[in-house]
Amino acid sequence: MKKSHILISIVIITITLLSACTSTPAASAEQKPEIETVVVKETVIVEPTPLPEGPVTISFWHTYNETSPESKMLNETLIPMFEEQHPNIKIQALSVPYEDFHRKLVTAIAGGVAPDLIRSDIIWVPEFADMGALVPLDEAMSDFADYQNSVFPGPLSTNFWNGHYYGLPLDTNTKVWLYNKEMYDLAGIEAPAANISELDGQCQALKQADPDAYLFATDGTFAWTILPWIWSMGGDVLSPDMTTATGYLNGPKTVAAYELWLKLYEEGCMAPVVLGNGVDVWTGFAQDMYANLDNGPWTYPIIQSQFPDKKIYASAFPAGEGGSIDVVGGEDVVLFQQSQHQAEAMEFIRFLLSPEYQLKMAEVGQIPVLADAANSDFMKNHEYYPIFMEQLKTSKARPAHPNWSKMDQIITDAGQLILRKELPPQQALDQAAAKIDELLK
Amino acid sequence: MNRKIMERARQIGYTLLLALGAFITIFPFIYMISTSLKGPLFVFELPPQIIPKQPTIQNFINAWTSNRFGDYFFNSLKVTLITTILVVWFASMMAYAFARFNFFLKKPLFYLVMFFMMMPAMTLIVPQFILAIKLKVIDHLSGLVLLYIAQNIPLATFLLRGFIEQVPVEIEEAAKIDGASAWDIYWRIILPLSLPALATSAIFVSLGAWDEYVWAMTILNNPEVRTLPVAIAAFQGTHNSDWGLIFAASLTAITPIILLFIVFQKFFVKGISAGAVKG
Amino acid sequence: MRTKNFQKQLVPYLFLLPGMIFLSVWLVYPMIQAMNISLHDWEIMPGRTSPFVGLAHYLQASTDPLFWSALRNTAFYALVTVFGQLTLGVSIALMVDRLIRGQVIFRVLYYLPVVTSWVVVSLLFKYLFNSSPAGFINYLFVDVFHILSSPVPWLNEANTAWVAIYSLGIWKGVGWTMVIILAALQLLPEECFSAASIDGANDFQSLIFIKLPLLLPTIILVFIMLTIGAVQAYIQVALITGGGPLHRTDVILSYMYYLAFNDLDYGYSSSLSFILAAIVFVISQAQLRLQRPIEMTAGGN
Repeated sequence: MKKSHILISIVIITITLLSACTSTPAASAEQKPEIETVVVKETVIVEPTPLPEGPVTISFWHTYNETSPESKMLNETLIPMFEEQHPNIKIQALSVPYEDFHRKLVTAIAGGVAPDLIRSDIIWVPEFADMGALVPLDEAMSDFADYQNSVFPGPLSTNFWNGHYYGLPLDTNTKVWLYNKEMYDLAGIEAPAANISELDGQCQALKQADPDAYLFATDGTFAWTILPWIWSMGGDVLSPDMTTATGYLNGPKTVAAYELWLKLYEEGCMAPVVLGNGVDVWTGFAQDMYANLDNGPWTYPIIQSQFPDKKIYASAFPAGEGGSIDVVGGEDVVLFQQSQHQAEAMEFIRFLLSPEYQLKMAEVGQIPVLADAANSDFMKNHEYYPIFMEQLKTSKARPAHPNWSKMDQIITDAGQLILRKELPPQQALDQAAAKIDELLK
Repeated sequence: MNRKIMERARQIGYTLLLALGAFITIFPFIYMISTSLKGPLFVFELPPQIIPKQPTIQNFINAWTSNRFGDYFFNSLKVTLITTILVVWFASMMAYAFARFNFFLKKPLFYLVMFFMMMPAMTLIVPQFILAIKLKVIDHLSGLVLLYIAQNIPLATFLLRGFIEQVPVEIEEAAKIDGASAWDIYWRIILPLSLPALATSAIFVSLGAWDEYVWAMTILNNPEVRTLPVAIAAFQGTHNSDWGLIFAASLTAITPIILLFIVFQKFFVKGISAGAVKG
Repeated sequence: MRTKNFQKQLVPYLFLLPGMIFLSVWLVYPMIQAMNISLHDWEIMPGRTSPFVGLAHYLQASTDPLFWSALRNTAFYALVTVFGQLTLGVSIALMVDRLIRGQVIFRVLYYLPVVTSWVVVSLLFKYLFNSSPAGFINYLFVDVFHILSSPVPWLNEANTAWVAIYSLGIWKGVGWTMVIILAALQLLPEECFSAASIDGANDFQSLIFIKLPLLLPTIILVFIMLTIGAVQAYIQVALITGGGPLHRTDVILSYMYYLAFNDLDYGYSSSLSFILAAIVFVISQAQLRLQRPIEMTAGGN
C-alpha cells in the first residue's frame, strides 16, 4: 500500500480501513467510540501517518528474565492466545532487566521510541505520570469503570496520580517468611518464629548445629527488604502525608529495626549477601545455607526450576510491636502517550486483565489482581498462594511519590553504611532523613 | 663446556617459568569451559571441580535456543562487517592523503586525527547520545555503525599512513607520467600494495566492533537489534546469575575470535608491533 | 591553468572528506557540544527547557567528593595496572626472546586474554572472585594455599574489590605488552650484542646497559598507550562492582556514565566528559613532545 500525499485522503482511507477492520466479528461494539478518537487525532497531527499495512505491532516491555517461567508462559501460551483472538495485532514482548528498566525507559522516551505498553513496577507510575508520559486510562478507555470495579482496590490505587488513573494493576505480590525445614530439624527449631523476639534464640540454636549456616538472607538494603522489619517493629519512613521523613526514618522504632539488622549481621545470623555479593538467596536456601528468606511467590518457580527437590515452607512474617507487616509489591500496565497504536494497545490491556491471563500467570507465581480470579478455587487450593493472600491483608504499600526512586536509593545507601559500621544507625538515618526531606519539598 | 650447560639451564629455566605463567594466564579460560559444562547445583560446589562430576551440555542448548541468540550473532556480524569495510576504505583514503600530499591544513588535520586516537572512546558518550536522539538513530543498528566508524577511523588512519609512507614512490611516479589520476593511483596501486596493513587494520576494527558493549547497551533496547556483548551481559539475572549459561554463551561468542586469532596470529602480531615499534 | 591547479589542490581534501565527515559529526561536534551541554541543566525529555547554568557544573565537580574519589581511583588503577603490565610484559618478553623453541606457542597463549571480549572476562573474574567459600579465588587462598583463614567477600568492599579489578586489568594486558616488546627486541641489531660479549660483558650487563636503553622508546610508547588504555577503564568496573559499594569503586568513566544515565544529570556528566577530554589533550601533547627527543637519542646507536 502506498502512502497518500494529501492529509484528507489519509483520513478518509484510514476511516474506511478501520471500519473494515471493525466489521469483523472479533471486534466488539466498543471499537466504535475508539475510531472517533483516532480520527480526531488524525486531523490534528500534521505529519502523515503510515497506513496500517497489515498487523499492528504493539511493543510490551517487562522485567521477566528471558529464560524464566513467567517469560515462557507469556511468550509461548498467552501472547499466541491473544494474537489468535486478534489477528490484526501482534505483540512484541521485550525482556529488559530490572536494574536497567527505568534508565532504558527514560532513554526511549527521550529518543521518541517509547514502547506502547510496559509492565511497570508500581513505584514508578507516579513518576512517569508526573512526567506527562502516560495516557490517563480512565479517560482513554470507555469501559474503564468495568475494570476498576473488578480489581482489588489496593493495587488499583497504585495507578492513581493527580486525579487520574494512569494504568491498571497487573499483578500484586507480597513477601512472606519462607523457611527451610531441613535446617530447622537439624537445629532443633520447632516452628518458624511468630515474633521477631524469637529470632535471636533460633539463631543461637542454628549456629550450634551448623556454624556456617545463616538464619536469614536477603540480597540488599533496599526499602523492599528493610521495610517489613521497620513496619513490623512499629516504625515508618515517611509521615502519612508524605511531607517529612524526619521523625520517622530516624525515629526510635525505625532505628531499632536497623539496630536489629546490625546485630543479626554482626552475629553471623544474616548472610553477607546483604552487602551485595555472595551466594544468592535462592541457591543458598536450596543448598541449606540459609534457613529463612523474606521473599515473594516467584521464589517457588525459581528455586524449583533449578533445584526441583527442595521443599519450601511458608509462614507469616514474624510479628513485632506493629504487627506482621510486609511490603506490597506488584506491577501495573501503563500506556505511553507516544504510542502510535493506542487503540490496539488498549485491547491488549483488556486481555491482560482477563481471567484467562490472570489465572495462567498465577501458575507461574503472579498473584492475580482480578477479584474473581483471586477468589477462585485454583487460588484457594493452591500449593502456596493462600499464605501470601493472608499476608496481603496486612501488607503496606510504599509511598506513592514521584521521587520515590531517589528516596529508595538514599535508604539503601544508609543501610549499607550502617551494616558496614561506618556510621552508627541513628546518625546514618538522621542524614538520610535530611536528604529525603529535600526531595519531599 | 660451561657455557653450554648454562645455556641449557637457562632454556629449561625460562621455559618452566614461562609455562607456569602461561598456565596462570589460561587457567581462567579452562575454568570457564569447565563451568559451562556444569548444572546449577555444581557451579558453586566446594571443592570446585575442574572436571565436572556430571557434565552437561544443557547450558549450551539453553544459550543457543534462547529467544534470539541467532539474531544477536548476526546483528554483531552485520555491524562488524559494515563498520570494518567502511573504516578501512575511508581510513585508507585519509592515510593516502596524509602520506602522499602536502596541503595547507595537513598538520592540524593530522593532529586532530591523533588527538581523537588517544581519546578514550566513552569520553564523549553523553553528547554523542544526545546527537543520536536528534538524528533518530536510537534503537537502530545504524546508530551503532555510524559511531563505530567514527571511532575507528583515527587509529586505522594512523596505522595505514605509517605503512603507506614506507611504500616506494617510483611506481606512482611512473603511473602519474602515464596520466593516472590520484584516484587511479589510490585504487590500483596503493590499495593492493597495502594489503597487509589493510588486513591488520581490518582485524583491529573487527575486534573492536564485535566486542563493543557500552554504546550498544546505551542506545539499543529492542532485542531484535541487540548485539552479542549486550546479550551476554543480559544473561546475568537480577538476583542470581546462571553462570553455566553465561559462560556457554560467552564461549560461543569468543571462540570464533580466538580461532581466527590462532590462525592469523602472525598478522595480529605484525600489526600491533608495526604500529608501536616504528612509532 | 588556474582551475587545473585548484583542482589539483583539492585532491587531498577530497580523499579526506568521507573520514572527516564522520569525525566532524561524531567526534568534533560532540566535543564542542560537551562544553555546551555542560553549561546547562540539560533536559532530554521532549518539551522541557534546559536552563543555562554557566560554570556551575565545573564548580560542582571541584567540590564533589565522588568526583575526586573517581579521579583518584582512576589514577591508582592506571598506576597499578600499567606498572604490572609493563614489568611482567617486559620480563616475559625478555625470556621468550631468548628461547630457542616455543616462542610462537607462548606468544599465542599469553595473548589470548588480549583478544577476548572485556564483557566476557569481566564476568569471568566476577565469578572467580565470588564471595562464597566456593568462589575459586577463595577456595584457592583458603583451602589450597592456606594464605587466608576464611573466605573473603571480595566484591563487597572497595579495597578487596580492587584486587579483582586490578588483577583483571593486568591479566588482560600483559600479553599485549609482551608481544610489542618482543617484536622490538627482535628488531635490535645483533652487532650490539656480539660487540658487547666480545668485550666480556655477561648477560646481565648486556641486559641493563644495552637492551633496556635500546628498548626505551618502545617502552615509553607502550607506557603511554597502557596509560591511555587504563584511563578508559569502564566495562570491568561496571560489570564487576557496578561502581559500588556506594560509588567507592567508581572510576571517572563509570561515574560519568552513572550521572548521565542513572541520575539523568546530563549537564554535570558532560562537564566531566570535558574535563577528561582536556586531560587526554594534555597527555597527548606531552607524548608528542617526548617522542621526538627519545627517538633521536635511541636511534643514534
